[in-house]
Amino acid sequence: MKYLRLLRPFACACLAALSLSSVGSAAESKSAAAGRKVAVVISTLNNPWFVVLAETARDRAKELGYEATIFDSQNDPAKESQHFDNLISAGYRAVLFNCTDAKGSIANVRRAKAAGIPVFCMDREIEANDAATSQILSDNYSGCVALGQYFVEQVGETGKYIELLGIVADTNTWNRSKGFHSVVDRFPGLKMVAQQSAEFDRSKALEVLEALLQRNPDIDAVFCGNDAMAMGAYQALLAAGKAGKVKVFGFDGADDVVKAVAEGKITATVMQFPKTMARSAAENADKYIKGERKFPQRTPVAVELVTKANVKKFGDYGRK
Amino acid sequence: MGGSDSVAPGAPPPRKEAAGRVRPRWAVPALAAAAAGAFLYFLPLFRVVSLKPPGAAANSTDPAEPAAFDPVAAASRFWQVDLPAAHARAADLAQVAPAIRANAEKARTQFARSAGLGTAYLFVHGSGKVVAREKNVLRLAPAGAETEIVVIRLGPVFGNTVRDGTGLLDVNNFPGLQEFNALSAELNALVEKNVLPALRDRAIAGATVHFVGCAEAPENAPDAGEPLFTLVPVQAEIR
Repeated sequence: MKYLRLLRPFACACLAALSLSSVGSAAESKSAAAGRKVAVVISTLNNPWFVVLAETARDRAKELGYEATIFDSQNDPAKESQHFDNLISAGYRAVLFNCTDAKGSIANVRRAKAAGIPVFCMDREIEANDAATSQILSDNYSGCVALGQYFVEQVGETGKYIELLGIVADTNTWNRSKGFHSVVDRFPGLKMVAQQSAEFDRSKALEVLEALLQRNPDIDAVFCGNDAMAMGAYQALLAAGKAGKVKVFGFDGADDVVKAVAEGKITATVMQFPKTMARSAAENADKYIKGERKFPQRTPVAVELVTKANVKKFGDYGRK
Repeated sequence: MGGSDSVAPGAPPPRKEAAGRVRPRWAVPALAAAAAGAFLYFLPLFRVVSLKPPGAAANSTDPAEPAAFDPVAAASRFWQVDLPAAHARAADLAQVAPAIRANAEKARTQFARSAGLGTAYLFVHGSGKVVAREKNVLRLAPAGAETEIVVIRLGPVFGNTVRDGTGLLDVNNFPGLQEFNALSAELNALVEKNVLPALRDRAIAGATVHFVGCAEAPENAPDAGEPLFTLVPVQAEIR
């Protein structure tokens, strides 16, 4: 008993050490888990194109051995900001980022950078050269130059058209619009009778075009800044009995629009390669975590015009 | 009177709150208006947004704003200084044309360049005889590869072929993509102003054109008789 009494403090010390070491190893495993966590912050999941971008980024990060979580900003800069607060406090190692606002999102990227979390932009540009680690972006301007040339071929050198813009705070909206106008504005016979934002949204495009058709019933074409709006525009034209008479042009290469191009419902779109961009961003994040620090700030990704003549080559958000 | 309020006959009774205080008549509409105001502040029925592109701060007078990028000046400097100095680096079309015909993919690797994962472009020099002239197009048979055809467009110049074709300009040296694209438009305007008029005036069938220019590198060799590529000349001399 005496020995047992003497052993009691020793046993207590051992138990304490054991419990401390288990707490330590739990903390270590938690920190190891945090060390393998990658966030995928996406502007919206209310558009299949962005779902493909998000899921490809997540899946590539998982293939590279990370725990990847998708955060949906629902096109709301305030939600995006909350996501950054959460992922900074949760100790994520990197962010694969598709922003809601070219200017407004810079502050989020800077906060992550200050917390030692690198940010890799995908598809949408932020207007800063010193915030993100890299930005992998579609060459929207070139794509819309090609689309503009095809537009002139299909519509002719005279006619009336409507332009549906995307989100006005997104540089993709303007790179596409300017690429298109760099061609079409050279033909004075082509008159843009209305230009309005439908925020890259299918149902908004339907509403906006329905209203615009009341005032402009004699248009020849609609140029839409993305495919979701092209589908909304097509629905509006269908309801107005003008489908097939008014040519619709989109941008993205979304699966439903590629099918609609094959069926002759949509005249053309431009294939962006969301899977290429998402994989490259995840691979850059992996390289960064493994020690690489030299990344080009912006990497343009080529896009391709999709028409009825070449549509067979495309599908599943890329080339077949 | 036992604490009860007296009411004049026929007059409506004053409203009472639980504590027994009289609530003024305007209180309910005012509260409703305040609640509606607060609701509409957070969930407005519509928003007025400017259609001005982001980064369009050319007229900003804020001294904290960085100096606005001037695409005209940047294009002019490139056209007058960097581009002429690079002419000697252009690949010889007499070598490029047969290489494309033999193996377009290998020719891209050997002669073309691309920025990032972007389109691959050629920067070439050479000469060719005008074999046909159509509405906005010259068809040339290149010297040293006379069975091939190269096309020069005489009409408007579009896209990034000149900007990206030489490989001298890097998007990462510019404020952003919008500025880089604005530079492209200015370079195209310089081609239209300085190179195309002489070709339109003097490049008749049978004339020989010496040129330096850029083109999108083809992915595959075209069918016989089809042009290898469409060239945007940055310098042209007609003899």
